[in-house]
Parts: sequence; structure tokens; C-alpha cells
Amino acid sequence: MEQDLQLVKRCLAGEDSAWGDLLRTHNRKVYNLCYRFTGRTGEAEDLTQEVFIKIFQTLRTYDADQGAFGTWMSRVARNHLVDHYRRTRKERLTSSLEEDPAVLEETPSSEEQPLAQVESRERREMLQAALDRLSPDMREAVILRDFQDLDYDEIAEVLGVPQGTVKSRINRGRLELAKVIKRMEGVKGG
Amino acid sequence: MTHLEIENLASDYLEGQLNVLRQAEVERHLAACPDCRDLMAGVRRLFELCQAAEPLEPPPWLVPKILRATVGERKPGLGERLIAWFRPVLQIRVVYGVAMAVFSLSMIANVAGINLRHVKAEDLNPKNWIYQANRNGHLMLGRAEKYYYDLKVVYEIESRLRQLRAQPTDEAPRRQAPAGGSTEGAPVSGPSLASNWTPGNAFQVNEAAWNLRAFSARDGGGHRSVRSTIP
Repeated sequence: MEQDLQLVKRCLAGEDSAWGDLLRTHNRKVYNLCYRFTGRTGEAEDLTQEVFIKIFQTLRTYDADQGAFGTWMSRVARNHLVDHYRRTRKERLTSSLEEDPAVLEETPSSEEQPLAQVESRERREMLQAALDRLSPDMREAVILRDFQDLDYDEIAEVLGVPQGTVKSRINRGRLELAKVIKRMEGVKGG
Repeated sequence: MTHLEIENLASDYLEGQLNVLRQAEVERHLAACPDCRDLMAGVRRLFELCQAAEPLEPPPWLVPKILRATVGERKPGLGERLIAWFRPVLQIRVVYGVAMAVFSLSMIANVAGINLRHVKAEDLNPKNWIYQANRNGHLMLGRAEKYYYDLKVVYEIESRLRQLRAQPTDEAPRRQAPAGGSTEGAPVSGPSLASNWTPGNAFQVNEAAWNLRAFSARDGGGHRSVRSTIP
């Protein structure tokens, strides 16, 4: 956290290298957040870039007294993802069943991969498919808690809702996810 | 405890956030309710999946792309810019080309009699180049023309002199013939060159030779060949 703060200060002083370091430190986290939200690698790449551009433009508004840089960054990312979700809702309804072409291109055939990798990929895809069926409110809460490892306080701060609401959304989201996954595994297992 | 209460407490129970009393109540219900046990097993399975899910690695070009979109391209330093500027010039073929051009120009300058040490500012004026080229062209043409006419004169003089030298040897037997014998059978020829010789002709030849010598002396070394042909 202290390191992030130093990097932010150096960025604001005009050091391009500090911005590069900040970007390299957090790009994986933002990229995964975007991927969990969208379920598509191509869209996640575009969104990650947009989120960092927004962070770069609004870096002066970050107040270290209000919380950690990671929390602030997650909030910026979350707001952008929610806006994006609202913008693309109609499009998403029509293409929700389409597979991500980027994933298909990047993924070699099952014969070429070790068994562990195949299983890992299948689990990830199943989880992502289950996440896609959640409502955005529940999905973002579950992602921040179970994939980004944020505390309830931080999630409440990021989402701008009371902690009780966060807990409720996460719990309902988990139950929903568990049901979906059980169904998926049942279908897969025959 | 109802099923709905179990559902609401599922996350807290699995994360260990319930107090001991509440936790015991949940466990009692789970022990008696297979549906809720099943539900709790499903959430546990979800936790396992989330923990096992490895984060995706962003593509390697993403960070440079974002850097370009935010801070722009990295500006090269002065040294890098200088090297980049000189890089095409420092290629072997360019160096060879420049060396050959300098060599060719120096050869041309040497042949044209241009001494680079004595070059003045006005020599660099293209107007002067044209004037000099025109002047040198005319001089060369004049010299060639003069050389041609000199050769004609020299040839004429040589042929006259050859005639004059050949004359006494031809006349000697003819003059002696009438003294001791008949002139019959002697070749009868038309007026020979020797018969045309007169003191006036000799004077003309001498005058031409003299003029040529004077002309050669005046013209300097440019007509050495002409002078050498004069007997």
C-alpha cells in the first residue's frame, strides 16, 4: 500500500516510469476483474485499457486518506464495468450463448494439453459460465469477494452500499452459483 | 432453525463468522436436513472451484498498449536521436559511395587544372562556371583549327623542300648528256618540277618556312610538333 502511494506521488510529479510500474503491478488484477465480469478475453483487454486510461486521467482525485489505492482502483474499475454492462446489455442478450472467439483461438486442442491443464480450463469455463448467469449486482459482489479477495468493508466501499447489503448479495450469489454449478456438473457427469 | 435461515447463514457459517451458539444451531439443522446439507456442500464446492481457479495472465502487449494510450511513446534521448540520425549515413555502402564521389571529383578537378587551394568564392558561382566552360571550349576549338592549318602548311613546305632536294640529282645526267653523246633516247617528259624551280620559288619557300618558325616561336610549346618538322 505504501509502495502504491509512493508510485502515485511519483506519477503525479510527472514520472512516466512510475506510471509504468503502477500499471505493471495492477494490470493483472484489473484484467481478471474485467474478464470475470465479461467472460471474454477480447472484451476484458479493451476494458482493462479503458479502466487504466480512466485511472490515469483521474489519478489526481485519489485521496490516500480515503483508503488504499487498490480499493480506489477497484471502485473506478467497477464503475466502468457497470457502465459498460448497461451500455451493452441488449447486445449481450443476443450474443450470450456465443463463445469467445479469442479463447477458442488461444486454446489448443485437448490432445495437445496435459490433463491438469484441460481440467483447469474446464473448471474456469464452467465457473465463468455460471457467473454469467448471475445478476450484475450479485456477480460483482461475488467476484470482488471470491476472486479479488477483498474484505467486506472494501467491497462495501467499492460498491457504495452498506456492508449488510454486500453480505446479502454475496450469500445469495454464492447459493445461486452453487446451484448452477451443481446442475452443470450433473449434466456433464451424465 | 428454518431452511431459509440456513440459506441466509451459509456464507457466514462456511467463513467461520458465526458465534459458537449460532454455529451449533446450524450444525444441528444440517445433521437433520439432507437438502440443506446438499446446499452447503454445493457452496463448499464453489469455494474450492474459486480457490482452484488460476487468475488469467493478461497478454504481454497489453501494458505497452496502455502505456502508449496514456503517456504516449517514450521520447528518445539526445544520444539515441543522434545515433538514429547518423545510422543511415554510417552504412558501408554509403561510406564507399561518398569516398568514390570525392575521389572522382578530385580526379576531375586535377584534370581540369583546378587547384582547390586557390578556389575563391566567385569560383563557386555557376555563372562563372558557364563563362569558363564557354571560354575553354572556344580556346580548344581555336587551337584545333590552328593545328589543322599548321599541319597543312608544314606538309606543303615539306613537299616543296622534297622537290627542291630531288631536283639537282635529276638534272645532273641530263646536263652532262649533250657533251658526249646524243640526246636521242633520253626520256622526253613534260615540264618537270625541277624545271619550274626559280629563284623566286625558293624565296617563297624560305619565306613560308620563316613564317612558320616565327609562328611556332610565338605560340609557345603548343606547336612543338610543327617546329620539329621544320628543317
